[in-house]
Amino acid sequence: MYALPAFLYMLVFVGYPIFSNLVLSFQDVTMKTLLLPKKPFAGFENYIEIFHDKVFVSSLTNTLIFTVSCLVVQFLIGFLLALFFNRNFKFAKPVRGLLMMPWMIPITVTALMFKFVFGTDVGILNYILRSIGLIKENIEWLTTPGTAMFAIVVANIWIGIPFNMILISTGLTTIPRELYESASIDGANKVQTFFRITLPLLKPTIESVLILGFIYTFKVYDLVYVMTSGGPVNSTHMLSTYSYKLSFEMFKYSKGAAVANVLLAILLIVGTFYIRATREEE
Amino acid sequence: MDQEKRLSKGKNICLCIISVLIMCVLLFPIYWIFVTSLKTEQEIFQIPPTFWPKMLNLKSYAAQVENGDFNMFQSFANSFVISAGATLIAVVLAVPASYGIARYRFKGKKLMLLGFLVTQMLPVAVLLTPMFIMFRNMHIYNTPWAAMLADATIGIPFSVLILKNYFASIPNELEEAACIDGCNRFSAFVRVLIPIARPGVMVCAIFSFLYAWGDLAYGMTFIIDQQKRPITAGIFNFMGQYGTKWSYLTAFAVVTMIPVALIFIFMQKYIISGMTSGAVKG
Repeated sequence: MYALPAFLYMLVFVGYPIFSNLVLSFQDVTMKTLLLPKKPFAGFENYIEIFHDKVFVSSLTNTLIFTVSCLVVQFLIGFLLALFFNRNFKFAKPVRGLLMMPWMIPITVTALMFKFVFGTDVGILNYILRSIGLIKENIEWLTTPGTAMFAIVVANIWIGIPFNMILISTGLTTIPRELYESASIDGANKVQTFFRITLPLLKPTIESVLILGFIYTFKVYDLVYVMTSGGPVNSTHMLSTYSYKLSFEMFKYSKGAAVANVLLAILLIVGTFYIRATREEE
Repeated sequence: MDQEKRLSKGKNICLCIISVLIMCVLLFPIYWIFVTSLKTEQEIFQIPPTFWPKMLNLKSYAAQVENGDFNMFQSFANSFVISAGATLIAVVLAVPASYGIARYRFKGKKLMLLGFLVTQMLPVAVLLTPMFIMFRNMHIYNTPWAAMLADATIGIPFSVLILKNYFASIPNELEEAACIDGCNRFSAFVRVLIPIARPGVMVCAIFSFLYAWGDLAYGMTFIIDQQKRPITAGIFNFMGQYGTKWSYLTAFAVVTMIPVALIFIFMQKYIISGMTSGAVKG
């Protein structure tokens, strides 16, 4: 059985943790009880408490707002770039290749990069906005609640564009060229061909790009943790960063586990759509 | 759309120029970090900002070697050991597993595949606390092993899902021919199939490495001593203590990007194929 070692490995290091995280969320584990063999049972107490916790509710809505805004913008830009680079000009391939860079860079570095760009006194963005006369005073992007969220969204879109672009590009190459030829013979213009041929044939690609994008964006962690750590005044907390804060800064392990499980539940629901979509393709 | 249709010369040049402009805008943050790392601390805060350092300053790099506090080369080495280890684990386990899944029918195969697919959607927050407890009990908490074992859980499912398709596309006759020539099933796998699937194995190795290299959560949570931590955690820590020392911070970021840039330059084709066939980011 060739598959057994990998399967066992995943069972031990992923399967078991998922299970024990579930158990953990029904217990009352803090710093004191962490290493005890028998931990106090708490029932649904943790789940009831987090849903009464304002920061939890706001991190849930934050995560949703963050995900949807990233998804829409990065999809549109990625789509436009894919269409653009699909044309047969000399630089198309090398430049498209270079545009993959943002996706590969460690997210910690990306976070540092955007922290620098959005810096109040040192940031190039404030300088540009000032010199074209859009603002008079420097904006404190990362220490003002609304703008901090904006900055994180921009950074995440930057990471997401290559992913959207390359998947849509691949989708475009699967559309048979004859279709376009016969459409132009029939007198269809560019807009018509786009809406009648390109979009409908790309539907499976678009579906999987959006669902996968949702999953990867919804579980965002490093980027937010490094850029704002959930601040200012908890305004950029996501489910993942809040769970981390509960577990590893406040040592309320069980509550952190409960938050993580809510996050997991949402991802699994969306994930089933993806699995269903890929099944249909096969 | 019109891949074979030749563009007129003028149009070709025009599109090339636009593509370079797009690239300059999108990749500007990377350039900006690099240039900043070569400036003196004074020049960084200078208004208007300079787009190329007036005075080339390599001190930010040199200082890291001299003082032992935040030796980025130490954390670079830590990251390298962790990532290489995680890659090795992932490849060694995933290659036979994907072969078994592609070639044999067995009970629970669908469920196993589903398991691998779901693992890719897992948020890191679900696994952190249980892994933390587990590694403490295994007495590998605060050693590179903890991060290595945890990072491999990202590489394995990705690799299995990609390689499975690779092995499935290799005709069965090849193995049969090898068997006639005196190989058994296993030696046919090692001598014939693995060499053919080499590009696929490369994709898996590269992605496993990149995932581990970019990881922050595991390295930061499971390793406490600063001198044992990976480079991403090093940057994060450094940001907390010297938040405005941008010359050092950007130098740190540039060093972190070196392996990514090398992989990018020499193995670009694998990256695009990995992204499109796996469509995954951890």
